[in-house]
Amino acid sequence: MKLQPQSLAELTVALAGAHARREAVAAIDLGALARVLEYHPEDLTITVEAGITLAALQNELGRHGQWLPVDPPGGDRLTVRDLIDHNPSGPRRFAHGTVRDHVIGLAAVRADGTLIHSGGKVVKNVAGYDLAKLLIGGGGSLGVVVEVTFKLRPLPELERFLALSCGSPEEAEARLDAIAGSELSLESLDLHGRAGAGTTELILVAGFAGAREDVAWQVAQAGLLGWTEESSLEYEACFWADPTPGQCVSVLPSRLISTVRQMPGIPFLARAGNGLVYHRGPAVPAAIAPGPLRLMQRLKETFDPHQILPAVLPPAAHTPRQ
Amino acid sequence: MTTESPTILSAAVLDALGEIVGRDNLVYGPEELLVYECDAYTIEKQLPNVVVLPRNTAEVAAVVRLCAEHSLPIIPRGAGTSLSGTVLAVTGGVMIALTRMNRILQIDYRNRRALVEAGCVNAWITQAVKARGLFYAPDPSSQSACTIGGNVATNSGGPHTLKYGVTTNHVLGFEMVLPDGEVCWLGTRPEGGEDVAGFDLRGAFIGCEGMFGVVTRVLVGLSRAPQSFKTMMGVFESVDEASQAVSDIIAAGMVPGAMEMMDQLITQAVEAAYHFGFPLDAGAVLIIELDGLAAGLERQAARVIEICRANGAREVRLAKTEAERLELWKCRKRAFGAIGRLSPNFLTQDGVVPRSKLPEIMRFIRACSERQGLRIPNVFHAGDGNIHPLILYDERDPEQVRRALAAGHEILAKCVELGGSVSGEHGIGVEKIDFMAIQFTAADLAAMQMLRRVFDPGQRCNPHKMFPGSKRCSDFAPKKQAAA
Repeated sequence: MKLQPQSLAELTVALAGAHARREAVAAIDLGALARVLEYHPEDLTITVEAGITLAALQNELGRHGQWLPVDPPGGDRLTVRDLIDHNPSGPRRFAHGTVRDHVIGLAAVRADGTLIHSGGKVVKNVAGYDLAKLLIGGGGSLGVVVEVTFKLRPLPELERFLALSCGSPEEAEARLDAIAGSELSLESLDLHGRAGAGTTELILVAGFAGAREDVAWQVAQAGLLGWTEESSLEYEACFWADPTPGQCVSVLPSRLISTVRQMPGIPFLARAGNGLVYHRGPAVPAAIAPGPLRLMQRLKETFDPHQILPAVLPPAAHTPRQ
Repeated sequence: MTTESPTILSAAVLDALGEIVGRDNLVYGPEELLVYECDAYTIEKQLPNVVVLPRNTAEVAAVVRLCAEHSLPIIPRGAGTSLSGTVLAVTGGVMIALTRMNRILQIDYRNRRALVEAGCVNAWITQAVKARGLFYAPDPSSQSACTIGGNVATNSGGPHTLKYGVTTNHVLGFEMVLPDGEVCWLGTRPEGGEDVAGFDLRGAFIGCEGMFGVVTRVLVGLSRAPQSFKTMMGVFESVDEASQAVSDIIAAGMVPGAMEMMDQLITQAVEAAYHFGFPLDAGAVLIIELDGLAAGLERQAARVIEICRANGAREVRLAKTEAERLELWKCRKRAFGAIGRLSPNFLTQDGVVPRSKLPEIMRFIRACSERQGLRIPNVFHAGDGNIHPLILYDERDPEQVRRALAAGHEILAKCVELGGSVSGEHGIGVEKIDFMAIQFTAADLAAMQMLRRVFDPGQRCNPHKMFPGSKRCSDFAPKKQAAA
């Protein structure tokens, strides 16, 4: 069953019906719920309906010199609901974290049609449990997000990128260690290319953003560390232009180079500062330990007992309690 | 509720607890237990039956399992600096104090992480890593005493929230013991990458006020310490003008590390006590601290001064040396101490309003003060809208006590009406239970209870907190209270 609610009330009624009939909901189009509800630039907060696109949101914020500091690949096509469901991130994650770090409140409709709220519209708020965290990155499995309040940042005055080509994985590792230990405050720190037999081609790209004097000082300092080639985020667009879906592995940043060395000849894009490697090699399913998995299964049974929303967890394993 | 009447602990269970942690690590005499009768919210007091002081995770798990077998309430406790009765043993029970598990286990400079035991004091982490230019960002006012485990339980903030976020933005993962005794690691593992598959149990747990289990080890993220600071103090005619200056600073694209405001009553008390040279007729004093790379701060500081002047500041001081900077902060940090000169007792609140509503809530507080016939000085985090009105009263006069409580209620209800929250950092505990139904709908509260039962089906972990209808202690008379 596909839903295309024209209002929040329609959505709650439709979900309550699907829940009662135990009918799975295949897709929900929130295109009609896409308004900016409240925007107070001086408070650095905005409340929007979840159907709004990230592009429309950033456009509105940009008119006031502000932005939501997330930059996921294909961001123009994503809606705020996609941001909440999948918590995607881009190169500037190194400085700003992920969507999870910027949500201060949300409203969602539970599988049975009940509207619930978490957090609020203020940046500091510890009243009640942080229910929003169940939804963020939850794959839409525990509820349908309908409204989100974000905290915002001012747009930087200036942004620049510098690249550094490395002749070997060892050099890349040494360059990463050096910049990680420096006084620089980077906006992004990426590595892309191929590693392995004979065809090593590793390019590091660092981003600098903020007040013009800060950026100028950082670019000069990076130059002393060997970062001299002016660059851009073009490599990012190139990697994601390939329609084959990318896989992702998350490792300690200090293990990044040894991880990419184990992927000979496979093109990759790594968030070197965060230890994330996107690649087009074979998928490695992420494992969940038995204890947390049981809690997650209990969450799903509690919040969506008839399984009408997408299932995202691995199937229940037979792990008897100790 | 599993336990509505006072908990009874048999001699056999006491012996079994002693076998797990050693008799020396049990506290059970009525005299010794007095330390554990309350936290920094001293209006309600109750003794736990016993306090256990485990030394490792295995001991915590064994204690929790034993309590599960005997259906005993468990109350996790750090340093007891919470301000809302969060660690009160409402019906008694077994208090698990993590203070003997206080080591820093591992510091990973390359990956900017530290693994610490739950009882590790917040400030110790920054002390351990600052020589390498790093720090642990959340800095609640109690940071020299409060523990990281307690910070996880209450999602602690501090004066730098607007720029640096709170505990949930800096704690990567942690080991915890579920109320049935099972040990789980939630979130990023010490040896693992930052992304974790499945639902964000880590995030759902942080801020649970100790109701989902006992935190035993915590993996925190470390941040690069600011290279430089520019600290300024503006003296304004009114809170409205100072608030407008704060708005204009943000509108100009700057996010200061801290913006702290003191109103006229506080300024006068500070001046009387410490002689900083404030004009006694000044309506508000605003401290603004910019931090970051040194290169850009000069121009930003000049812009802040310009904005303050444009909003009628009669004087703006810029700290030229580190000594001058500490001097400016001294007047803010001493504000609570100066209150002792004004009144024998005070009650503070921890409401939050959207920043742009600060002038409105300040006007409301002034009207409330006149209505109740009590003085209410204000010192607050202007950057994030977190207010701390100090309601002055004399506990020897029951009528003043009643009016002080009424004023506190009115102010928090107004915060919610203005789109804010009844708690910015202190939490609900037992103190603010009655406000939950004002801020949240019945459906919101039901969903929170559903989440709670996923972690604690028996609702035995830190029971009778957070939710309306919870049992209250009988003793009820406000006393002196500290604030953030």
